[in-house]
Amino acid sequence: MKIEKEPISGQYGKFKIDGIDFRIYWEEAGQGIPLVCLHTAGSDGRQYRALLNDKKILKKFRVIVFDMPWHGKSSPPENAKVGNYKLSTDFYISQIMSFINGLELVKPVVMGCSIGGRIILHLAINFPDKFRALIGLQSAGHLDPYYDISWLHRQDVHGGEVCGGIAYGLMAPTSPESDKFETMWHYMQGGPGIFKGDLFFYKFDGNIGNEIKKIDNSKCPIYLLTGEYDYSATPEETKSLADTIGIEMIKMKNVGHFPMSENPKEFLKYLHPVLNKIS
Amino acid sequence: MFKSLIEKNEKRSQLSIMAQYLNTSFMISTIENEYLVNIEKGVVKNVEEGPFVMPSYVFKLTAPKNEWIKFLQHIPEPGSHDIIAMLRRKVLKFEGDLHPLMSHLLYFKLLLASLRPAESKNEN
Repeated sequence: MKIEKEPISGQYGKFKIDGIDFRIYWEEAGQGIPLVCLHTAGSDGRQYRALLNDKKILKKFRVIVFDMPWHGKSSPPENAKVGNYKLSTDFYISQIMSFINGLELVKPVVMGCSIGGRIILHLAINFPDKFRALIGLQSAGHLDPYYDISWLHRQDVHGGEVCGGIAYGLMAPTSPESDKFETMWHYMQGGPGIFKGDLFFYKFDGNIGNEIKKIDNSKCPIYLLTGEYDYSATPEETKSLADTIGIEMIKMKNVGHFPMSENPKEFLKYLHPVLNKIS
Repeated sequence: MFKSLIEKNEKRSQLSIMAQYLNTSFMISTIENEYLVNIEKGVVKNVEEGPFVMPSYVFKLTAPKNEWIKFLQHIPEPGSHDIIAMLRRKVLKFEGDLHPLMSHLLYFKLLLASLRPAESKNEN
């Protein structure tokens, strides 16, 4: 029987992040300009499966997606304990920079969604010269808590069920059910307390405030794309961010918080022109 | 408005599997009216329409009628497509013991969404 093979290869490597060894898993496909993709809180790199299979993109870009420590196939550090995980801005920046340096990537493009869409703003503030361009999906400068995130990790509620339920609602009703299910499934497979620990960055530690005014788009071009059905990082919030930076945002119709995973076909219509400009 | 949540002909049997250990009563309020929903083993056994004198329930979801109408469209607009989206816009309030709701969040989302028409009607 002949199987349909995908062009993706996966690998593990040891990376030192803030002095601690982490076993990280990443996948990549294509060749050319490095395009490092960052997944959302509580999920993993499978969210970018369509990009890693998109022939048009793979001709010009080396698409690389790593699972954050504690996520997907990446390991927790030595002596890890359940319940202690909290993502800080500094640790998030460190893991991205360690990964890029470890793979000896020169001036990559970094694209992140949600928490990834937030951290690219921190990268733009701190290291504008290190990147060819930065792409924020579902980016907002800050997020005030609008539900009690303690529900995401308590022993009398199944974490996979509740995290999946939260993620499901963030997607557009118009996105294909099979892609929505897969996106939700990734959330259902997360470890206890990991989604909640990531949201510490998203809702508290990673809030940017006035620092956003330090972003200089002439040093590193920034592109912001947001799905209309996202109520976590709304198009209005991305617009306000874009106005402060002095750039145009792209509002994507018929998608929600996970464009690359919940409706890849629709998302790629918006991403291709952006990548054309960058290349 | 919510009377048709009552299970008929096992049309939500797949959904009930997601809540097979759930027994609870909850209230849906449209401000002008209330609906008391009783669930046994994940199956909606009864829906009573108010007004009530001394209703007993575990938790309550309150939103104005026009917001529920927007939620119940074939394809709802952004911000009306999910109960947490409505919570975010502060048009829906969760009250009471939320454990049955949060431990079966997807079930309740899909249960309420099952009232949406399968095809678009003239919604204007």
